[in-house]
Amino acid sequence: MSVSLHGLPGPIPASAGIGLRFPHHDAVLAEKPCVAWLEVNPENYMGGGKPLAYLDRIRRDYPLSLHGVGLSLGSADGLDATHLTRLRCLADRVEPGLVSEHLSWSAIEGVHFPELLPLPLTEEALAVVCRNVETMQNFLGRRVLIENPSSYLRFCHSTIPEWEFIAAVARDTGCGILCDVNNLYVSACNHGFDPRCYLQTLAPDTVQEIHLAGHKLRRFDDGRAIRIDDHGSRVAAEVWALYREAVNRFGWMPTLIEWDTEVPPIAVLLDEAAKADRILATEPAHADAA
Amino acid sequence: MPTLHEVQHAFSATLRGGGDGDLADWVVADDFSAAERLLIYRNSSRSVTVEVLRMTYPAVDRLIGRDFFELSAERFCAAHPPGSGYMNEYGGEFADFLAGLPEAAAALCYLPDVARFEWALSCAANAGDATALDLPSLTAIDPEQHEDLRFEPHPSVRLLELDYPADAIADAVLAGDDDAIAAIDLASRPVRLVVGRGPDGVDARRLTPSENDFARRLFAGERLGEILQSAGPDGAAWLADHFVNGRLSGFRIECAANGAVVP
Repeated sequence: MSVSLHGLPGPIPASAGIGLRFPHHDAVLAEKPCVAWLEVNPENYMGGGKPLAYLDRIRRDYPLSLHGVGLSLGSADGLDATHLTRLRCLADRVEPGLVSEHLSWSAIEGVHFPELLPLPLTEEALAVVCRNVETMQNFLGRRVLIENPSSYLRFCHSTIPEWEFIAAVARDTGCGILCDVNNLYVSACNHGFDPRCYLQTLAPDTVQEIHLAGHKLRRFDDGRAIRIDDHGSRVAAEVWALYREAVNRFGWMPTLIEWDTEVPPIAVLLDEAAKADRILATEPAHADAA
Repeated sequence: MPTLHEVQHAFSATLRGGGDGDLADWVVADDFSAAERLLIYRNSSRSVTVEVLRMTYPAVDRLIGRDFFELSAERFCAAHPPGSGYMNEYGGEFADFLAGLPEAAAALCYLPDVARFEWALSCAANAGDATALDLPSLTAIDPEQHEDLRFEPHPSVRLLELDYPADAIADAVLAGDDDAIAAIDLASRPVRLVVGRGPDGVDARRLTPSENDFARRLFAGERLGEILQSAGPDGAAWLADHFVNGRLSGFRIECAANGAVVP
């Protein structure tokens, strides 16, 4: 494992990692499980005390990625300078291999919602997101990754397909893309588009990380159904199939297993990560950009 | 076509319990109506916010029960939505909000104080780090300057003055200790507490009126000589207690004539 200037484990490898949640802090420290890297939500470590002390200790043993959920890159009001400063303080402290956020919004007029809300996909929104991503990258002094969210609604006045929108953000700002294959599948089912076409639209050299998680299929008595991205179960078979296609297109890629509700023992996450590693091992190392 | 700001303003109103208004006209309706699709986001946002409050106020949750807590939290969220993406700093007004709920105030007069106590614990747990003062840094000070010392509290430190024994109530309720609950004397008021995060984690300790006055002046950065003179013979022991429990993180030496020396 390579190390940073300060002796910390270095870049995020093209292998499977797991999202670190509080219930697993002690297990990770005590057992040092064999996993290539870890990812955390920076919002859980922006204070001091026990969580940050845990993270400092865990960081000595694992490459680490920061995956934000609270910056609201799609806000028409711009970014919260305090939140951005807190993020930079944490990044300076733990020297993450990757920093990522979402193609969504959560704050307006000083009110924040703990939710990744959908954007109207318009030229105006594209300009706002690009401006905010550039602000984030300039403030942190690094390239960041932007993740496609799960969504449950579309706006009538959207004019740009999501795959073209996120590709344009990457092209215009130089940011990378975090392709969440579960989100892609959930949104594709909920809105009736082909997730494979989405994958084919993304330039392989812009995709720098993949996320995998479980979701819930909610069926109604009248036969309707909608998929909810709850991160509360194992990765669905259809998502594993789509993941194979993503790896085939993008090449070996850091791949994260996320689990946020009804968090199981860490062994379950490690088992899912091992499955992702087996798929990575069977696919070509480099993408065919043709 | 609505602007992005107009969409986000309308979405914000919907999530805070207002009607869907124009937003419903801007959302694609197909198998699911716009209202049904918006409801998914409203339920999710509300559920996460309520759970954040439940984690901060576990004793309040036990005292009033899951259903009434959820109802109270939803009303609180509508009146006091989160202001930032760092949710650990959300919910500080919950105690005053509970005090204004007639249903809660009539049944459990001590409920707001329990919330104030739990908020202080949460603030102490999440406060920024600062190195607690160590013995060598104090012993290096010229004894002739001791009276001119002015201390800075650790960022986690809070002083509370409550009408009811909220610390005992919270501990007993969370432990499910019926005997301890029965033994609580609601008339034993007011209760003064110092809350902070020391070497062994978050801690709350009761203070006598004299100790409380000493701590208030100490944490306000008043000159040590004058505080000790008012405190009497116990002052040195009270100072030592704050020191060993990590409640002091800095000092400066400043005489009454404002000649400041910053170590």
